[in-house]
Amino acid sequence: MDLLTVRDLRKSFGQFQAVKGVSFTVKKGESFGLLGPNGAGKSTTINMITGLFPPTSGEILLSDVNVVKTPKQAQKWIGVVPQEIALYQDMSARENLKFWGRLYELGGKTLHNKVDEVLEIIGLSDRAKDKITTFSGGMKRRVNIGAAILHNPELLIMDEPTVGIDPQSRNHILETVKRLNEEGMTIIYTSHYMEEVEYLCERIGIIDHGEVIAEGTLKELRQKIEDRSRMNLTLEHTEGNIKRITPVLMRLFSEKDFQIQDNQLTVFHKQPQMILSELVQAVTETGTRITSVDIVEPNLESVFLHLTGRNLRD
Amino acid sequence: MGFWWLAWKDLLLIIRDRKAFITLILMPLLLIAILGAAFGNMMKDEDVTIKKFTLGVVNQDNGVLSKVLTEEVLAKNMSDQIKIKFFQERELQNNIRDHKLDIGIIIKPDFTSALFSGKETKVKLLSVPDPGIKPVIVQSVIEQFAQMIPVQAISVSQQGKARQQNDFLKTENLFKESTVSKKTKPVGSFQYYAAAMGVMFLLMTVVQGVTMMIREKEETVYQRLFLTNLTYSHYLIGKMLGLIILCLIQAFIIIIGTSLIFGVNWGPSVLGIITMTIAFVINACGLGMMAGALIKTEKGFNVGGMLGTQIMAALGGSMVPLYIFPDWVVSATKFIPNGLALQSYLKLMSGATFTDILPAVAGSIALGSCFFAIGLIFLTFERRGKYA
Repeated sequence: MDLLTVRDLRKSFGQFQAVKGVSFTVKKGESFGLLGPNGAGKSTTINMITGLFPPTSGEILLSDVNVVKTPKQAQKWIGVVPQEIALYQDMSARENLKFWGRLYELGGKTLHNKVDEVLEIIGLSDRAKDKITTFSGGMKRRVNIGAAILHNPELLIMDEPTVGIDPQSRNHILETVKRLNEEGMTIIYTSHYMEEVEYLCERIGIIDHGEVIAEGTLKELRQKIEDRSRMNLTLEHTEGNIKRITPVLMRLFSEKDFQIQDNQLTVFHKQPQMILSELVQAVTETGTRITSVDIVEPNLESVFLHLTGRNLRD
Repeated sequence: MGFWWLAWKDLLLIIRDRKAFITLILMPLLLIAILGAAFGNMMKDEDVTIKKFTLGVVNQDNGVLSKVLTEEVLAKNMSDQIKIKFFQERELQNNIRDHKLDIGIIIKPDFTSALFSGKETKVKLLSVPDPGIKPVIVQSVIEQFAQMIPVQAISVSQQGKARQQNDFLKTENLFKESTVSKKTKPVGSFQYYAAAMGVMFLLMTVVQGVTMMIREKEETVYQRLFLTNLTYSHYLIGKMLGLIILCLIQAFIIIIGTSLIFGVNWGPSVLGIITMTIAFVINACGLGMMAGALIKTEKGFNVGGMLGTQIMAALGGSMVPLYIFPDWVVSATKFIPNGLALQSYLKLMSGATFTDILPAVAGSIALGSCFFAIGLIFLTFERRGKYA
């Protein structure tokens, strides 16, 4: 059963089209990863799904609630973890959670118990009375998540919730999200960290230039690059070396199998070890020095690079 | 009910900011004490006491109304302030030219008939170059008198019976609402600066509240608010409510503080003071909400908002006494929250009653509501143009 249906979503700001006909569905209980570089239209799409602002055209349905027409009704079922820390720094963790809970119309004993439960989930019961300003980045992020799950949302949307935090907090957050999903909460997760999306998400949508360019399970997406590994060669930057290398590479591979960006050469191949020596020799013969070689097994990052021609964090 | 919690949160944050809290409460009391002491001798009672003066009258009208005006209203009812002396026109002019008389009036021949028929008539006012407040008193008495006649004439004609002119002209207290009442008390320096500083500090509190609001708008927390059940109208109501509560706490501390510590007399009408304070706070906070909704960055507010506040404080009479401004400026400043509030406070201190300040109360609340509505409309429309 589809919990979220996004159909032909468009958003323009003057002449600029930020989102150009995005469509996807998220099933109930599923965790869906939304990937895209900065400026791809990811946050605009998310903000429209959360009812923060209306689309220029298109439809968003949360079960049978029309998010565009009745955003406030839909928001009762949506929890949002913003990319930045959206908390009051001079209030304690408990005060923040109580405040956000009250805005979701929780009150009395229900609110009190829910705050205790959420503090337990985010592992901050012992720091409940401390002001947010005294917390580490990771702890703040955990409270940021806590504030979004107080009202037991059907759909939890997390916009890069692990940016700039220590590994311990990151693991805690990932485990928390995994557990929430296992308990039945539907998740939309966006991140720059592919391994997080690979770990958490059953299905992934890749968005670029305001359009969904690929959608499917990790396995389905890997098939788009035919399970090919990725060889990353860092080249010494010299005048005109790209021009010299390109014809050589064209003789060895088809045009879609390699990319040169700045001084980085990326080649996709099913058996990289087999062609590595030939590749190194061909590049070296053009007078270009190779400073490093890296072979990466087929993963989401390779898919992303293959589809968009750029790294996720560009 | 999310707006209650938003208001509560704002109050909590400002109360926790000790520096802000001390500035809001202690600073006004301190400044009132300093200014009151410094200007203590400038507004003593005798400076504004109205001494009895002679008014020269030339009555060219043979009608009954000019007789009532001169003999009943001016000569009898205002005998404590005015002594009437009748002249011929030339004689009056000579007396004034020679400074034997400070002020005189010439009542034109059509005075009675014009007033009865609802037409415009003129009374010529002659005075020495520097007559002080005397022309204002005479003018306001005549205006008051003239305003009452057409109303009464209409009521007579509507009843269908033409009563004897004398019947209704005997109506007493034609200038009952005159601002030059014997009951009017002069306002002292401490009183003036208590009201003026109180009003200015309330304005500054609104500025502080708006600064906090704009700062919040620049943070992600603002967007998060609208991901909850909070609507734009509830957001603005919550913001305004928090600010209103804060301003009222401050206002009553200032009023009670100045009353107990410095013995400032805020006038006999406690109800008037409370109502006017609430009305002013609504007006100022409404203006603040409009500014908070329209201005997007704290930087922008620091430039425009602060300058605007200083101008408002200066024009409103918080920096220099209102008495030095021309009448048209004083009238114009009634359209700014602090100007209207200060003038109403001064009225109350002079002995005005609750009903006397009701128009000001209504005006304040109406203006505040308009400001609020503009702010809300802007916020709602802004949502459509938002960018991630």
